Amino acid sequence: MLDQMKMHLDRIRRSGASYVDCRWYPFEESNALTMWNGNLKQAAASRESGVGVRVLYQGAWGFSASSDTSALGAVFDKALDNARIAAERVTFPVRLAEKDAVQTAFTSPCHIDPFSVPLSDKVAFLKTMDELLDQSGIFQRIGDLTFMRKQIHFVDSEGSEIEKNITEVFGSLSVLGMDAQGAAHQRSFRLNQRGGTRGWESIDKEHFAENAERIVRELNQILVAPQCPVDDRSVILLPGQMFLQTHETIGHALELDRILGYELAFAGGSFVTLDDFGKLRYGSEKLTARADATLPNSPGSFGFDDDGVPAKDALLIDRGILVGAITGRQMVEEANARAHRVIFPESGGANRATAFYRVPIERMTNINIDPGTDGTLDEIVAATDRGIVLDGDRSWSIGSNREQFHFGTEIGWLVEDGQITHVVKNATYKDDTLRFWNALSAVGDPSTWQVVYVDNCGKGQPNQVMQLGHGVPVCRFDGVRIGE
Amino acid sequence: MKARILQTLTDLRTYALSKPCEIALFYHEEDSALMRFANSAVSLNTSEHLIRLEITAYAGRKRASYEMITDLTQMAEMRQGIDIAAEMVEHAQPLAYDPTIPVFSESYADESCYDAALAEIDGASKLATVNAAVTGLETQHLKLSGIFSSGVNTVAQINTRSEHTQFFRTTDAQVTVVLAHDTLKWEVQAEQSAQRKSDLDSQALREDLAFLVEQYTHAPAGQLPLGSYDVVFGPAATADLLNFMNWIGFNGGMARRGYACLREDQVGHKILSDKVTLVDDPSRRETFPYRRDYTGIPRGPFPLFQHGVFAAFTWAQDDADEYGAQPTGHSVGHKSLVLHGGSGDVDSLAALAAAPRDKDLLYIPFLHYVNIVNPTKGLVTGSSRFGALLLKQDGSIAIPFNVRLTQSVLDIFGDKVAWLSQQTVPYNTSHSYGARNPTAIIVPRFVRVNDLEISHANASF
Ligand SMILES: [Zn+2]
Repeated sequence: MLDQMKMHLDRIRRSGASYVDCRWYPFEESNALTMWNGNLKQAAASRESGVGVRVLYQGAWGFSASSDTSALGAVFDKALDNARIAAERVTFPVRLAEKDAVQTAFTSPCHIDPFSVPLSDKVAFLKTMDELLDQSGIFQRIGDLTFMRKQIHFVDSEGSEIEKNITEVFGSLSVLGMDAQGAAHQRSFRLNQRGGTRGWESIDKEHFAENAERIVRELNQILVAPQCPVDDRSVILLPGQMFLQTHETIGHALELDRILGYELAFAGGSFVTLDDFGKLRYGSEKLTARADATLPNSPGSFGFDDDGVPAKDALLIDRGILVGAITGRQMVEEANARAHRVIFPESGGANRATAFYRVPIERMTNINIDPGTDGTLDEIVAATDRGIVLDGDRSWSIGSNREQFHFGTEIGWLVEDGQITHVVKNATYKDDTLRFWNALSAVGDPSTWQVVYVDNCGKGQPNQVMQLGHGVPVCRFDGVRIGE
Repeated sequence: MKARILQTLTDLRTYALSKPCEIALFYHEEDSALMRFANSAVSLNTSEHLIRLEITAYAGRKRASYEMITDLTQMAEMRQGIDIAAEMVEHAQPLAYDPTIPVFSESYADESCYDAALAEIDGASKLATVNAAVTGLETQHLKLSGIFSSGVNTVAQINTRSEHTQFFRTTDAQVTVVLAHDTLKWEVQAEQSAQRKSDLDSQALREDLAFLVEQYTHAPAGQLPLGSYDVVFGPAATADLLNFMNWIGFNGGMARRGYACLREDQVGHKILSDKVTLVDDPSRRETFPYRRDYTGIPRGPFPLFQHGVFAAFTWAQDDADEYGAQPTGHSVGHKSLVLHGGSGDVDSLAALAAAPRDKDLLYIPFLHYVNIVNPTKGLVTGSSRFGALLLKQDGSIAIPFNVRLTQSVLDIFGDKVAWLSQQTVPYNTSHSYGARNPTAIIVPRFVRVNDLEISHANASF
């Protein structure tokens, strides 16, 4: 198969294409289990295989994919045809930033292959969790396990040849209850990074059990809690909400294709312009953010992106100043040319596709906030006059240029004079993105830092869902409107 | 092709009959093409041909499924899929209820929403459609973005309970054309949904865009003061909000699970404005309808709200099984929602802008990133995008920077509704992840809702 792929790469290259690549997925498998109120509502597995071919012809992209690898030549031909049509409307001919050709492999860290574990063991695990969640006050209980495994062979017309083997494990528990007014509330637990590998070994019964007990207890507190007041307060975000804040208002805002206007038809643009790099004060001095695909053991670390560029640890925001973006080979060339200066010396290695039948686009790797020096969560709370501690993503809505946002959280704890007083329900907050990050007044120490896994980041047309991570500490932001 | 698909399913059924469990096969084939525009160029031109086979095995109260991307030539692989599903179900855990396996009592095929001309549309025609929509409107700063998404969607079913099959084939296209100013950052948009090639109308797209570009180029722009406004929603915003009703409103299973803003004791009661009549109407070809559901139940017009009175919840088979309800023919990929038109006589943006008005009107064509803040209250939030206008009482027009609306869908479609346009249009809502599933909602061209609170207003574009 690899030989045939290379043969067609050469053939299409000789037909006038300036660049060709091919991703062959011998297999991509998933296994998803959902237990809802004790019912195994979903026991699903899937398997797919196929090839995706990208052709650059006279500055325009064409893409084609098929699950039928017996007709490989036709897939290459169709991609070239598609590029020829696209070449009729080119305004900035696509160029690709330099990279080194590599012949190599990457395997994500996994101790026990989850696909080797019998289904009955997985079901038994969910059953145990369901029994733990089946407590007074709980109206709905949901346990989810998702496993993914894929192999990708990448070859391109520049001589790169990369094999990737990636295994993902995601798990979550949720409970739902009704308050006295008949309104629903939820509390959830999501499996995050634990240790150096993420195979079946991360499905740790004791860890899940502790969290099952915690979310039941916290939901019961929410059900009898007063409504979150409408107020301006300091908000203290735990990693279970801080990851989403980072994701939506740093991650998506700094995808270079969005900044350059490539997502305006649907997902939106960014308030960031090319002029801003090197000078925009994005946040307070306490904010340092990076796109770190070298972070061990995270879905945002994948060895090489789908341009064949190796993982990088790229600074995005340096002590509050915007310095970098989430980039791939095409966009850095265009950005530098449009800005008439070299903003991005090389590709950031963040171009990824969700499946063989989708084209790679700029995707988040691990978008992390460096831990700070403002102590533990308790110390941050103790240093807060009037605040609210927030956790658990419940709803999110962001302006089309990522310039403003509204988030709903699962739980809030009001803080008065350095003390947590009580839980409130329906806690929400909203703000303008730049005002919010510039109001960052405390960043927790490494004890508060956690790598949160994300399995459902959507972007692009046709839609693509991607897995990634966020390493984030507890953070406090001042003067934020809550409760609307 | 149809014969080959059904024969393959029939052969696979014969194989499945040898298993000690029941097997249901769900075949999905898509021929998808997407031409994407950005920065006035074709940024991507893709085509994918994908066949998915979902195999569900039932053994008493146990159920498991296996899905594969495959090809009709791969009989051995598909049989292996049946083996895997049959093996999985042994290790599944019994449900607390009896899952229904449909028995198709006759074979059914519906290709009435298939249009050969749209299925075969070539790249040059797609490019020509979009080019014509923006002729003379692009400038050095005003750049074209958008998509021309089109495809053929085929669904076929069989199971071990009977030899009968179900077969559905539709064509669809969704055209979105955006003109965005690269330095000022404003953006305007026009969209079209097509089930046939002849539904495509570049001129209509161009008229909407030209009107908005004219306003955005010349009218004064500014930040709106927070407060209450009389809002006129365009088709995109109305369809998006109705889509949330679909999810957290009249869905029976969601209501029983506590995720809905409607309760069973509200059936038969007036909940929304008496101007609101909402029907799931699969007779409307523009909605890419299913006229039978996946369990074989014939689907006809199903009233959801009649003059504001809540008529019924919809029940998919599995939810009905779990909660002891009667299924209503809603085990389908999507419903065919139709919000009936009203008495409003404006049928174009230009006419809306020119009509005399008693107050300032805030026109919101599109809501970006709407999400559910509180399902039991029906509370959703989202921001205006793509060409909002402030139509002032004195007849002049101003451009508002984008605003956020955080409101309950029960209020938006409640007594605050002032009027709905007589004229209705299909709005394409196909933003599906994974497999192609063309959907559209038919909505009045405009819906006016009085006294809606704006909770946030941007200070710039
Ligand atoms: Zn995302």
